[in-house]
Amino acid sequence: MDDLVTVEAVSRQFPLDHNYVRALDNVNLRIAPGEFLAIAGPSGSGKSTLLNLIGCIDKPTTGRILIDGVDTSTLSPTNLTALRRVKLGFVFQTFNLIPVFTAAENVEFPLLVQGFSSQERRTRVAAALESVGLSARARHRPDLLSGGERQRVAVARAIVHRPALVLADEPTANLDTHNATQLIDLMHDLNRTLGLTFLFSTHDQRLLEHTDRIVRLTDGQIVSDTHTAESLNPNVLNPQVFNPHDSNQGASHGQVLAASL
Amino acid sequence: MAKFLLLAFRNVFRNRRRTVMTLIMVGGGVTGLLLAGGYFAFMTRGLREDTINAGLGHLQIFTADHFKRDEVRVLDTGIENWRQVAATVSSAPHVRGVAPRIDFYGMASNGTKAVGFMGSAVDPNAERSLGFRSRGLVGRDLDPKPGGEVEAILGAGLAKSMNVKVGDGLTLLAMTSDGALNGVDVEIVGIVNSGISELDARYLRITLPAAQRLLQSDRVTNLVVGLDSTSNTDLAYTELIPRLNGLSQQMTLKKWIDLATYYKQVNTLFNGIFLFMGIIVFFMVLMSSVNTLLMAMLERTREIGTMLAMGTPRTWIVALFMLEATLLGGMGAVVGVVGGNLLGAILNSAGLHMPPPPGYSVAISFKVLHVPAIMVGASILVIFSLALSSIIPAIRASRLQIAEALAHV
Repeated sequence: MDDLVTVEAVSRQFPLDHNYVRALDNVNLRIAPGEFLAIAGPSGSGKSTLLNLIGCIDKPTTGRILIDGVDTSTLSPTNLTALRRVKLGFVFQTFNLIPVFTAAENVEFPLLVQGFSSQERRTRVAAALESVGLSARARHRPDLLSGGERQRVAVARAIVHRPALVLADEPTANLDTHNATQLIDLMHDLNRTLGLTFLFSTHDQRLLEHTDRIVRLTDGQIVSDTHTAESLNPNVLNPQVFNPHDSNQGASHGQVLAASL
Repeated sequence: MAKFLLLAFRNVFRNRRRTVMTLIMVGGGVTGLLLAGGYFAFMTRGLREDTINAGLGHLQIFTADHFKRDEVRVLDTGIENWRQVAATVSSAPHVRGVAPRIDFYGMASNGTKAVGFMGSAVDPNAERSLGFRSRGLVGRDLDPKPGGEVEAILGAGLAKSMNVKVGDGLTLLAMTSDGALNGVDVEIVGIVNSGISELDARYLRITLPAAQRLLQSDRVTNLVVGLDSTSNTDLAYTELIPRLNGLSQQMTLKKWIDLATYYKQVNTLFNGIFLFMGIIVFFMVLMSSVNTLLMAMLERTREIGTMLAMGTPRTWIVALFMLEATLLGGMGAVVGVVGGNLLGAILNSAGLHMPPPPGYSVAISFKVLHVPAIMVGASILVIFSLALSSIIPAIRASRLQIAEALAHV
């Protein structure tokens, strides 16, 4: 099976005063479609940097990253934006919901950006909120939701357009044990039932216990890459082929995926 | 698009206190412009009607050669058969009446001193029927009855320089049409103070028959046309042009605005002041809004980063900020228009008066006109100013580095 993500000899340096700090050092990683993979490591080990690079919101100093076989270093900013829009979903540590939008409107936003019809948006938003168990809270604004609920809305927002890869940066860091466990179960469930590929950074042991594959980073280098028995997931959907030269790609992609909702 | 508009609308009210302050500032600017513009409109309208009713009329008819005339023998280029011309004009729609005039020059002597004057010969009945009145008249107006003493009204400056008063006599000297010097004795029945010292120093008015006798001519220099309303000036002008073209003598028709030099100067001055105020409001809104919108952009850095991470095109971010600013400008304009009209109505009902301007002895009432053009203009000004002020914050927001924006605290 072709890899969904290929990280080839990637390094990332950041300027600091008159020197450079190497956040990632010659990292190589392959992620297959349908994986549920955790990047673990202590603070400052480079977890978020690696996620940012795979999420195409930062660029490596050296090396290259391929998403669905497309070398992201060759894409223009417009095509990178289109790739993120179609192929990726993001879950953030601090939820990052739009505070003036309701839960449903937040989930709808990625579909709006992709140009889905209003009917299609309604159907998909209802299904996404249903899948995270928040149908009853659809009309609530984020400030009226608990931390766990907000993060579940963020997960619904990340999966509503059926991306090939969902990136979650420390998704349980701001949640209590109960909500963290619920969120882990939810993400794992979505991974199994919908075949979505999840890649998240964490140092939360609770989350790691439920993870199929754990990549450990220390000082910007991968020190271990372990698989559990569940790691080979048979329920993998074929990822959509991304055309890097079509910045309008989205609506057709969504229409194809609608059938699987 | 509707969701995008909804997002912009809700973002406007995200920080209510700041939005209210911005609305007060924008609305205050619009209110200020409406009050100033409304007052200027009242003043210019008053000056316009004063100018017209002081004797200028709405339209004036001259011969085509009038403006090339010799100022000594003014009636050489006068209107020959003016009664026929007046009749032709009087039957036109919107025309309320026609008053013949002779504008002439001569010398006034009191026996010891002679001073040049600018004379205006009028038909008192025609002038009164058109509502023309002399401002600051001491004594009485001219007697329209023919025969008896020739009467004259002098400008205050001329009376002072000649050292004469009401009831005194003067001798007027002027060149007749055939080049001879003619004279007529007049009795001063009134002294007029127009408020314009240059005019008062030379002004003299007598009746039309007296002037025709002095100038030895039956002609008049011009016919003053009064209309039912100033707003019908253009209509009447268009109607009268073909009628005048059908006459044997070639005529020229002038609108009041072409002859009201003082009005035009005042109007230009008011327009200049209003333009200056508009520029101040524009920059006041622009500068303060840039700061407000930059603050809003900084507060939403992480949110913008999130939107960009989700693949939102950067042009959408620019459009969102500009839309928010435009909405804010629109709401500020509504607040300003409502506030300005309300405040204007309150001021109008308060019966306020302004001190008398130079040359006036009575206070002028303070009124604010509700002028739709000013409302629209002021609204467009602040909306444009706010949209312009959002460009820098919008571009800065759209150029945020996503990873840095997401890490923003």
